[in-house]
Amino acid sequence: MKKFLAIVLTVVMVLSLASFASAEGFSGDIKIWVADKAVDFTVNQVETFKAAHPEYAGMTVTVEAVGEGDAANKVITDVESAADIYGFAQDQLGRLVQAAAIEVVEEENAKKVEAENDPGSVSAVKVGGVMYAYPMTSDNGYFLYYDKSVVTDPTDLDKILADCAAAGKNFYFEVNSGWYQVAFFFAQGCELTYETDNEGAYTKLNTDYASDKGVAALKSMIKMAKSPAYQNGSSLSTATNVGAIVDGVWDAGAAKELFGENYAATKLPVADGVQLSGFGGFKMLGIKPQTDDAKLAACDALAAYLTSEEVQLARFMDPNLQWGPSNLNAQQNEAVKADVALSALGAQLAYTIPQGQYPGGYWTTATGLGDDILAHKLDDADDAALLEVLKTFVANCEAAMNQ
Amino acid sequence: MADLEYFKLSKPQKMLRGIGSFFARIPQGIVNGLKKLAQLVVSLFKGLGANIADLFTTFKNGDWKTRLSYLVMGFGSCARGQWGRGILFFLFQTVFNVYMFMPNAEFSGCYYLGKLSTLGTVETYKQGRKTVYGDNSFFILLYGVLTIFFIIAFIYTWRVNIKQNKINEQLLKSGHKLKTAKDDLDSLRDEQFHKTMLALPTLGVTVFTILPIFFMILVAFTNFDATHQPPGKLFTWVGWDNFNQLLAMDSASYGDTFRHVLLWTLIWAFFATFLNYFLGMLVAIMINKKGIKLKKMWRTILVMTIAIPQFVSLLYVSKMFAADGLVNTYLMKWGWISSPLPFWTDPVWARVTIIVINVWIGIPYLMLIATGILMNIPADLYESARIDGANAFQMYRKITLPYMLFVTGPYLLTSFTGNINNFNVIFLLSGGKPLSLDLAGGAGHTDLLITWLYKMTVNDTNYKLAAVIGILVFVVTAVINLIVYNMIPSVKNEEDFQ
Repeated sequence: MKKFLAIVLTVVMVLSLASFASAEGFSGDIKIWVADKAVDFTVNQVETFKAAHPEYAGMTVTVEAVGEGDAANKVITDVESAADIYGFAQDQLGRLVQAAAIEVVEEENAKKVEAENDPGSVSAVKVGGVMYAYPMTSDNGYFLYYDKSVVTDPTDLDKILADCAAAGKNFYFEVNSGWYQVAFFFAQGCELTYETDNEGAYTKLNTDYASDKGVAALKSMIKMAKSPAYQNGSSLSTATNVGAIVDGVWDAGAAKELFGENYAATKLPVADGVQLSGFGGFKMLGIKPQTDDAKLAACDALAAYLTSEEVQLARFMDPNLQWGPSNLNAQQNEAVKADVALSALGAQLAYTIPQGQYPGGYWTTATGLGDDILAHKLDDADDAALLEVLKTFVANCEAAMNQ
Repeated sequence: MADLEYFKLSKPQKMLRGIGSFFARIPQGIVNGLKKLAQLVVSLFKGLGANIADLFTTFKNGDWKTRLSYLVMGFGSCARGQWGRGILFFLFQTVFNVYMFMPNAEFSGCYYLGKLSTLGTVETYKQGRKTVYGDNSFFILLYGVLTIFFIIAFIYTWRVNIKQNKINEQLLKSGHKLKTAKDDLDSLRDEQFHKTMLALPTLGVTVFTILPIFFMILVAFTNFDATHQPPGKLFTWVGWDNFNQLLAMDSASYGDTFRHVLLWTLIWAFFATFLNYFLGMLVAIMINKKGIKLKKMWRTILVMTIAIPQFVSLLYVSKMFAADGLVNTYLMKWGWISSPLPFWTDPVWARVTIIVINVWIGIPYLMLIATGILMNIPADLYESARIDGANAFQMYRKITLPYMLFVTGPYLLTSFTGNINNFNVIFLLSGGKPLSLDLAGGAGHTDLLITWLYKMTVNDTNYKLAAVIGILVFVVTAVINLIVYNMIPSVKNEEDFQ
């Protein structure tokens, strides 16, 4: 009997030790979703992380390819089978918070993120006053790629359109996207932001689109859409006969290939006397709500590592990715500063506004306005009629808060 | 009106009368339908009453084996030597009891059934940094429905079990022997073979079709959307709110958009069906005509569009007609137009373009169908018509068209329904665009109800409104089908061409 008791006690001791040890580290499964071309990179970085942190050496990390645009949708639809850590573009953050499908960033990490990343990215990962994600890149903005042999003066929209028309080339700007459209509105000094509470519910819309400034912006867009050289779009892969295009760094490789020697990139042009603005956008890593403290701690550590200075820099150096860092120190790196596309983005950054949280209804409303412009429905409208259109726009944006 | 007077009427008058009498019949039809419904309800209650009465008399007149079977299913069968049936009954009862009253309350039928009225009340909360999930409204609804199905199945089986006892008692009294398990198995291979064959399909249809439909109908009465997403958030019953939102006449947003999309859906379905039908028939007649050379080649060229997957051809065609696509670029290069034609950007242009492109896809199918049928029309009909001096158009109207309509009437009806839900063509060609500030809920000018539903579920996770649209699509197609079905010649004049 004594022997039996001894065995039982030993077992209990060992078990308690084991459980104590597991509170320190973690040895279960963690699933990560990143963009297709970032899978190999992430797998390597996870190995480096495990080598540097022996307490996590036992965990099994699987990296799967899920695009930054789809990740949020998939997580919201089925939280239980979703990845523990997932990369996504910032326009999805509001939805994720509303659906309670994302975990708050751990306090110490949040302080570190706040100190080390550019202010735009820090504000983008917050909903209300709470930080929900780790900023990974600060390159989700747009600027102008152009063909040097076609466009002589890339600083003025009218001249770009005239040059393209004269050369029989196209100028691409995606006017029916809420993301690009703001370039014109913000340029005129307009504002359109939503306030949310800490749970992601939209509480207030701040906008002055329905004003003379908004009408001026709308008129600029209508004028642009009338030009024979104008085409709607923002993707080089589907564009034809391109003279110039408003696009982001993800198309830098394609632009270099297309324009060859005449490849050039710069900030957005001036339209009707005002410098075009736009959204500064960011990619980020989120962690889904966890039911296990040890696993959550492991996810925190891993996500913090994957968005740290060295990994952000490595992500830029990787020839397949070349994602621009949001980390302040990494941004000061010589190689980052020398990149044509990134420096164009940097030049544009001075005029952009960090993208906050927008409900799904905003994007469809913006597409609606853009499609109305493309359908030339507003071509002959006077200022009063345009103001009415913008009033409808604002009303729809208002209604979008409750959908 | 007497027959003679009817014959005195002119053609348009006759037609008007036909249409008038159709609408005149509608009230009577509704009254008849309601009468039938009332009869059905009455007979249902009568049946239920008879069943309950039978339960009592069986209990009163039965022996102790029968009476015990009321509590322990299959007891009577076992006691009378029908071990196979008895064990099956008992097993079913055991499984049902275990499911309903499982010790782990989280997964028992009673748990889900109890929460069904609220769809869960326990919110998800945080314990330190970790998340503790509360009730999952989605599973409560799903398993709640499943449990109800299970209970109905149980009651039915219980009733069968008692009926068996009664029958067996009578059989034994009259000196017959009861069937053994082996007899039962043999009969499943022989006179009851239909039951063996249909068991699996019936189960499949129930689990994979009826249950999801039931589930989706119920979702239409909840607030399951982006801000009520399990497991993080709860959703609950809201009654008819979603229907009100979509159908309200005063609501500026969804009501107008719904009517707009519905109207276009019907216009689209009409053109997609009938334009393809008549043009396809025309092509078939032309190719069939004597003296046309290379018949096989013409058919092959047309059928090629079927051979290429729509994903490829439609996406390609869509790009071709874009503002910067092939068509516009060449027209501008040749100087025919100065600015791109708004194929996809102008609402009216987009709709016409879609209908025309759909003709290109649809004609080959109709041509194939029509070719087969045209060859079947007896040549002597045409011959006698020709002798009587009929021209080509008269022969088409009096012989070809009636014959075609008779044979393809049901096809026309199904293809109309199919076109109402023709997701592929719209989604691949225009994606529902162009959008407009005038339309709410992300709907575009070329969106069908079905593509709008898709956008709502996938882009906005607005399941509640999507479920309502799903129900309304069913109502629309059902009404149209019922009306048209009773009008097509294949049903009305069944004997005409036999």
